[in-house]
Amino acid sequence: MEKKLTKKVLNKSFHNWYYGNLTCFSQEHMQTFGYLCSMLPIVEELYSKKEDQQKAMHTYTAFFNTEPQVGSVIVGMTAGLEEARANGAEDVDDETINGLRAGLMGPIAGIGDSLVVGTVIPILLGVAMGMSTGGSPVGAIFYTIVWNLFAYFGMKLLYFKGYELGGKAVDFLVGPQGEALRESITMVGGIVIGAVAATWVSVQTSFTMIAKGETVPYLILQNTLDGVYPGLLTAVFVLFCWFLLSKKKLSPIKVMLLLVVIALVGVLVGFFNPGLTY
Amino acid sequence: MEISWFQAALLGLFACLSSMPGLGGTSFGNYTLGRPLVGGLVCGIILGDLTAGILVGVALQVVYIALVTPGGTVSADVRAISYIGIPLAMIAIKSYGLDAASADGQALAISFGTMVGTLGTVLFYGTATINLAWQHVGWKAVEKGDFKKLYVVDMVLPWISHILCSFIPTMIMCKMGAPMVDLIKIYLPMDGVTMKTLFTVGSLLPCVGIAILLKQIVTKAIDFIPFFLGFTLAASLGINLVSATVIAGMFAFINYRIKMLSLQRASAGSIDLDDEEDI
Repeated sequence: MEKKLTKKVLNKSFHNWYYGNLTCFSQEHMQTFGYLCSMLPIVEELYSKKEDQQKAMHTYTAFFNTEPQVGSVIVGMTAGLEEARANGAEDVDDETINGLRAGLMGPIAGIGDSLVVGTVIPILLGVAMGMSTGGSPVGAIFYTIVWNLFAYFGMKLLYFKGYELGGKAVDFLVGPQGEALRESITMVGGIVIGAVAATWVSVQTSFTMIAKGETVPYLILQNTLDGVYPGLLTAVFVLFCWFLLSKKKLSPIKVMLLLVVIALVGVLVGFFNPGLTY
Repeated sequence: MEISWFQAALLGLFACLSSMPGLGGTSFGNYTLGRPLVGGLVCGIILGDLTAGILVGVALQVVYIALVTPGGTVSADVRAISYIGIPLAMIAIKSYGLDAASADGQALAISFGTMVGTLGTVLFYGTATINLAWQHVGWKAVEKGDFKKLYVVDMVLPWISHILCSFIPTMIMCKMGAPMVDLIKIYLPMDGVTMKTLFTVGSLLPCVGIAILLKQIVTKAIDFIPFFLGFTLAASLGINLVSATVIAGMFAFINYRIKMLSLQRASAGSIDLDDEEDI
């Protein structure tokens, strides 16, 4: 009789992945154990004999690591493949399954890191920070609810699409339509990040020039700069950090240390002065 | 501001849930509880000053808005930022008599939180290393076909790693925070060069967070245009973030439609070409 995975088993497998994808993380086997836990309900359902189960589980002991949220689609696809293998499909063996997993880990991690972690989360956080202006909890609550609904149902959708469609599910993500969609979301990301920078980052100089004998300075550099383009100094510092990170390939920690040096020199020459008093 | 053992223990528990790799799971643990904005809410509730918690959380969130951990390499640890850094920053702000909403308060919060977050990477590597031992148990279980043990390996045993690397360090750091901040206050007066530098660094650091995001979005100079559109909307026109997102959505919608149209053209165009070749 044709073996068919029930909705209940697939749900169990999905939830194991949703919760456990990174709980037992190590540098050696990053998401391997999350994957094993996710495939276990499926293997137990499909194979009744212990040695068959053992053989099937052995496939998933290979190293696995990707962006775990978009990566749900890969887990869903292997659930579909395992079902096909249990039904005696000739062309599905350890090599096909692990070849597919190894081949998709990289591209899916790239999409997941840049789209979800690098764009969707910052957009949501940017909006939420706007709502939390002045110390209101509304933004934090908004982010918690919206992000978790998006993550849970998004991952569930990807898992089940992966199971139903197999390779076609990935084609959508990396295909031209998916690319157009990703490019548009990235554009929202760019605009929102610009607004976040202007709203929440404020680099200001205390540099002034006073003529001898006068009490009012004739040059307040901050005002002059803002007259050219509001927030100019902030924008310059952001671009400078971007230049160091992208073009000079410095690590974030090195850039931060460099900023400490710049701050110290700036304070000593009187360019920066937070104007602290008790 | 004093933190009781009970409060410190609660903060420790949240540190276990929120870290990468956290026991709250990736989406709810790391990407929700671990974000400084949400951490600020939680710390605010635990320490009994919601407004200050949120304000400090928001200040730190800007620095860590782009905390991507490609291939499991981290430059800062969320459990340390959100559940050690935020409480300590809250204490420091209170102790120095600053207003958490003021630029000075935010700058102090950022320098404190970032320092703790960077040092916290030790906790990340500690947790991942101890997990190796549980994975070893897991391999033996797989060999024997004792599959039920996999759940214990993946979801229960890592609690031990977290008690050692999240719970205890967070609890002790938070409990010891108040006397430590007092010491810093004696040795580093507010009008000295060190404190001025620290505050200035606090206002510069968020630039790094924004720049990390830009690094992903910008590949050529023209990609800066959306960023500067957003910057101008907020800085020159004073448009708030929610409204800026709506405007951004409109641009994205137009962009998507144009892309889809050009895709249809391209596929239609290629068919036409084939026809001509046939003639």
